[in-house]
Amino acid sequence: MTCEQARIQMLGGGEGKDFAEHLASCESCRNEVSRIGTLWQSLDLLPLEEPSGKVRDRFYEMLGAYRQGLAAAETRPVRHWWTAPAWQVAAAAGLLAAGLGIGYGMRGNGQPPAEVSQLREEVANMRQLVALSLMQQQSASDRLRGVSWAYRAEPSDREVLGALVTAVNHDSNVNVRLAAVDALRRFSASPETGRAALQSLSKQTTPIVQVALIDLLVDLKNPEAAPELRRLSGNETANEGVRQRAQWALERLQ
Amino acid sequence: MNRFLIGGMMVALGALQTPAQNPVQNPAQNQNPAQMTVAFSNPSQPRKLVVKTMMHRVTIKGYDGKDAIIESSAISERRRRERNVPPGMHPLNVGGGGIEVTEANNVVTVSAESFFGGGDIQIQVPVETSVTVNTVNNGVSVENISGEIDVESVNGGVSVTNSSGAVLATSVNGKVTVALDKVAPGKAMSFSTMNGTIDVTLPADIKANLKMKVDNGDVYTDFDVKVTNDRFDTTQSNTEKGVRIRGNKTTYGTINGGGPEMQFTTFNGRVLIHKK
Amino acid sequence: MAEVSAGQVARLAVLFERHHRALFRYFVSMNGDREQAEDLVQEVFFRMLRYRTSYDPAQSFTAWMYQIARNAGVDQLRKRGAVQVVDIDTYVERRAELVSASPGPEESASRGQDLALLRRAMDQLPEDKREILVLSRFQGMKHEDIAEVLGCEVGTVKVRVYRAIRALEQIYFTLEKEKAS
Repeated sequence: MTCEQARIQMLGGGEGKDFAEHLASCESCRNEVSRIGTLWQSLDLLPLEEPSGKVRDRFYEMLGAYRQGLAAAETRPVRHWWTAPAWQVAAAAGLLAAGLGIGYGMRGNGQPPAEVSQLREEVANMRQLVALSLMQQQSASDRLRGVSWAYRAEPSDREVLGALVTAVNHDSNVNVRLAAVDALRRFSASPETGRAALQSLSKQTTPIVQVALIDLLVDLKNPEAAPELRRLSGNETANEGVRQRAQWALERLQ
Repeated sequence: MNRFLIGGMMVALGALQTPAQNPVQNPAQNQNPAQMTVAFSNPSQPRKLVVKTMMHRVTIKGYDGKDAIIESSAISERRRRERNVPPGMHPLNVGGGGIEVTEANNVVTVSAESFFGGGDIQIQVPVETSVTVNTVNNGVSVENISGEIDVESVNGGVSVTNSSGAVLATSVNGKVTVALDKVAPGKAMSFSTMNGTIDVTLPADIKANLKMKVDNGDVYTDFDVKVTNDRFDTTQSNTEKGVRIRGNKTTYGTINGGGPEMQFTTFNGRVLIHKK
Repeated sequence: MAEVSAGQVARLAVLFERHHRALFRYFVSMNGDREQAEDLVQEVFFRMLRYRTSYDPAQSFTAWMYQIARNAGVDQLRKRGAVQVVDIDTYVERRAELVSASPGPEESASRGQDLALLRRAMDQLPEDKREILVLSRFQGMKHEDIAEVLGCEVGTVKVRVYRAIRALEQIYFTLEKEKAS
């Protein structure tokens, strides 16, 4: 094996008897290999650039817009209306919202044009997607952002509600659980919310989350919470602040 | 992936990986009896440090190296006992510090969950490591870390300084003090205590949406905060001592036009938000 | 044009979460401009969405994505006209600012390597050498995938990686000597 061959082998793993033998006998290659190896490793120490949060926001906006076929998603200007995708033209002409007959059949598969309510649904789907996706991330900070997005979901969105309840009950991070309790307020109209909050209260042991749940139950005006609150206010092992809060809540709910 | 040479010795990446959840053997080159050095199995991938303790104080510092270095009196205690075992016997872990260190999939886990013992644990990790700490009876201090910082303490304070990662800190009975030099944009953060002041310093140019909830205390800041919504919910009740007013209030505001959410929640304590 | 199904949307979202950071770093390494890199990431995902039917499942996804990335980068250059003539010192200074702005131990020497200098050396590498180093070292791509992206033989990739790091070494040591003098 020549020096040139050996050195090229090095970065690919440098296996084999030939390679080892050459190194054993060639000092210049050994030095080279050592220097290059160190340099190669040092490249690892260069700090990693991180994109700003805007990238994610823009991506999900684009995704949502793309689904609705809004002109904004297309970066190229429409030159000839008969060559551009039908939905794009319809949107540009404001026909989607108006739901005029001219839009009918212009969509590739012959379906009627999207109505405003359907458009709203698409946007809601996008928000749901972002919330659910972020809430499953490894990073607690990302999950926290996911909970913020969940707060903007549709109050009827059961998937997001479910994800929030799961977060309240099972997220390993106190701050994420706390934020999730607050986000449940978005779903006040749903009867499941009160039930879930009450169930959670009986299982939570972190004082600040217990307080948040108690406050939520009061805001939801949930009288079924009374037995649990009574139990909590009398529980001597519970945090003093929590007990006070439970007592206050009982008074509020009378 | 690629293999590379370290100082003339050929090491395949596979050899560096320890099988899942294996305890780390004390490396021979460690002269300091109270110290343990652990390598991350894949140095070019994101690193994580997880610490769980009961009675120990934890100090974590970012440094310019690649390994995790753990120092504690508990380690030397354990080694001392391992060296002095009478023949035919084994030490019982009574009254000892009991530190366990494992590494798997680029996550170094340090746990000292015994009710006995105590003392300090000092950990050094590469600056770009994300750190998760869970302690019960003593405080946590994190310094010079640019990865995500998640700290939970029950009866101790949390202090984060000279750092730039996203912070989620909580304490039941302790003060939360956080000083960030700069923050990567788009990171959400949260600070919460039950009984304790929350004292946070943020870069002056940070863009954030603030959400502050204080029950018995006030919020002070030298930022120019644009308050967007002030929800105040009170109730009055008659007690034999007179009228008692209770309220739970959440204030929303923005800094520098708004950005990701920063939440401050405390029951008994004040919130201080400083501009750096 | 076929409508985007909910399943496809969900899948692209997963791909985004997985890959957008690495893609961003690739663009920043190539052109040094964070804002432009963010625009390019957006463009790449848009194109992946738009041309999703052209993706052959037998092909490596990463290779396909980086092919699109390279094209997007080139298109960006074409849009902005010829490469702007900036004197090398200004360009390197701007990049050095990036280094000092980001957290980390660039200032201190580690195993004798000065990270700020290393970054400058990377930036002074000819574009094709820098690219292959980024793809192999930072993106951790397999040589087969790199070969597909660059349109060359797998064996050539190994040689080119070696030549790239050799060139980096030369530049690094020249910079080191300049610094010392």
